[in-house]
Amino acid sequence: MRIRSLSLENFRNYIRLEMEWPEQPVLLVGGNAQGKTSLLEAIYYLATGRSPLTGMDRQLINWTAEQEGLSYARLRTEVVGRHQVREIEMVLSVSPNANGIPRLQKSIRVDRRPQRLRDLTGCLNVVLFLPQDVELVAGPPAGRRDYLDATLSQVDRTYAAALETYGETLRERNALLRHLAEEGGDPAQLDPLDERLARSGVVVAQGRHRLVGELSRHAGPFHAELTGGQEWLRLEYHPNFDPASPPALTYQRPLLVEPGGLPPGVSLEDLERAFLQRLRQRRREEIERGMTLTGPHRDEVRFRVGDVDLGLFGSRGQQRTAVLALKMAQLAWMQEIAGEDPILLLDEVLAELDEARRAALLSLVDRVEQAILTATDPEMFSLAFRQRAALFRVEGGIIRPCERAV
Amino acid sequence: MSALPPSVLRLIETFSELPGIGPKTASRLTFFLLRGESDLALRLAQALQNLKTQTRLCSICYNITEQDPCLICSDPQRDRTTICVVEEPLDVVAIERTEHYRGLYHVLHGALAPMEGVFAEHLRIAELLRRVESGEVREVILATNPTSEGDYTAAYLLAKLRPLSVRVTRLGRGLPVGGDLEYADQITLTNALEGRREL
Repeated sequence: MRIRSLSLENFRNYIRLEMEWPEQPVLLVGGNAQGKTSLLEAIYYLATGRSPLTGMDRQLINWTAEQEGLSYARLRTEVVGRHQVREIEMVLSVSPNANGIPRLQKSIRVDRRPQRLRDLTGCLNVVLFLPQDVELVAGPPAGRRDYLDATLSQVDRTYAAALETYGETLRERNALLRHLAEEGGDPAQLDPLDERLARSGVVVAQGRHRLVGELSRHAGPFHAELTGGQEWLRLEYHPNFDPASPPALTYQRPLLVEPGGLPPGVSLEDLERAFLQRLRQRRREEIERGMTLTGPHRDEVRFRVGDVDLGLFGSRGQQRTAVLALKMAQLAWMQEIAGEDPILLLDEVLAELDEARRAALLSLVDRVEQAILTATDPEMFSLAFRQRAALFRVEGGIIRPCERAV
Repeated sequence: MSALPPSVLRLIETFSELPGIGPKTASRLTFFLLRGESDLALRLAQALQNLKTQTRLCSICYNITEQDPCLICSDPQRDRTTICVVEEPLDVVAIERTEHYRGLYHVLHGALAPMEGVFAEHLRIAELLRRVESGEVREVILATNPTSEGDYTAAYLLAKLRPLSVRVTRLGRGLPVGGDLEYADQITLTNALEGRREL
């Protein structure tokens, strides 16, 4: 798929942008803080409903506009898919709630009809690669979980729905546990939430398990290629709740079952029951501590080469290569599962790579229908690449086509 | 110093405490009352006073009433073996409008919402259980809203009612009359399919 147009209003430093996108790869050139990354962020936001850079959506609204009382941002794009053209529109607005406290509201429209976040699934698929993505390997586990969630939610509607339910239920349940710890009350209020948590939780855990298996399967060969056959990357999923005993329920069963498939004789309902049982066992402890201690919100994913955990012992270079292989794997997996190319968004990532890895990354550009890249220094790209790409200059939230290759 | 006398200012300030009313609307309302016939302001004052002094909660169903027990609970024509549990008094009004329900009600005054600090002890749940335990009741209809909180409340109530050997039902959920199948959202449609009936 590809985007045909993009319009932004009061998004970051774009007061107003109307842009038609050419068919060839796009190279956005400009200095720092001119709006190159924000443009990729906008496209990612339209695809997933979240920003890769901030958890505070309010920061996305242009600051000057907000000072002038225009507390909203609008994003709109036309996506040309294999079978149809869709229009996605998102509006972020700040308005006071009944108690007068300003609240951020997010409304989503697909083809002008109001939709929920989960309905975005499949409308616009992207693979984004930012320089700071190297933190995926060595950074805190929450970053890895968010990455898995954002990736899966783009293509798997059941997962997106389960993830939303799980998140809501977890917040409700933690509030209730805190209340029970501090003021007491009827612990039976936990029962309906436990069931909802278990039902959505096993879908989340299964989805992640399947995805990690798939990414690992694709990333291995890419990584071997990038390292000249020296190293083979493996991704490991460590679910926080692993019904590991009895052993038949172990998640880590490489090669025996298809990736993400349930072990023979085990159903989703079995996992749900096991999860519920665990919640019951730990209830007293959870009430004492006032929070949910079991579940996929505590999952972990590790990157390994042989016996070496790259997050703990990998060099910066190894970690960078692993992330590159991961993104290549994500692209291949998305193509496979969606039957359509995701849009490739590369932000300033060439700078940190050596010649061979640059070539590997740029080869991805030819594998997709649309690629959008940014660079402060276009010289980083070969002349041949610059000549076939469409170059645009980004300056202070304004985008102009470059006449010639720079 | 303000150019307005304190009695005018006070009403403006009081109006602006209401939800959805800002200082501008508050001033407009105040001056409307000030200029209009004196009768209106006095009727409003009387109505406001009665709102708090004349009303109370029915000691049986906890609906808002002027007499205790309320008109519905004291109506001998009503079926005393069925209780319809709702979140708010306005839900009673909605169900009464159907003219298809002849049983009694129980108003919870909210739904379980931990994030907003609403827990079981804040709702009229213990009172409901006592009503059911005391005999007569054969069926409890859970008519909480089809929202996440409403469903949560219904599930909690179901667990509490089950040991009391009473029939517990939930309002059916499905497609709106006059709606278009094509435009129904997935969840509604799934519910409608699951709740389909033999013809």
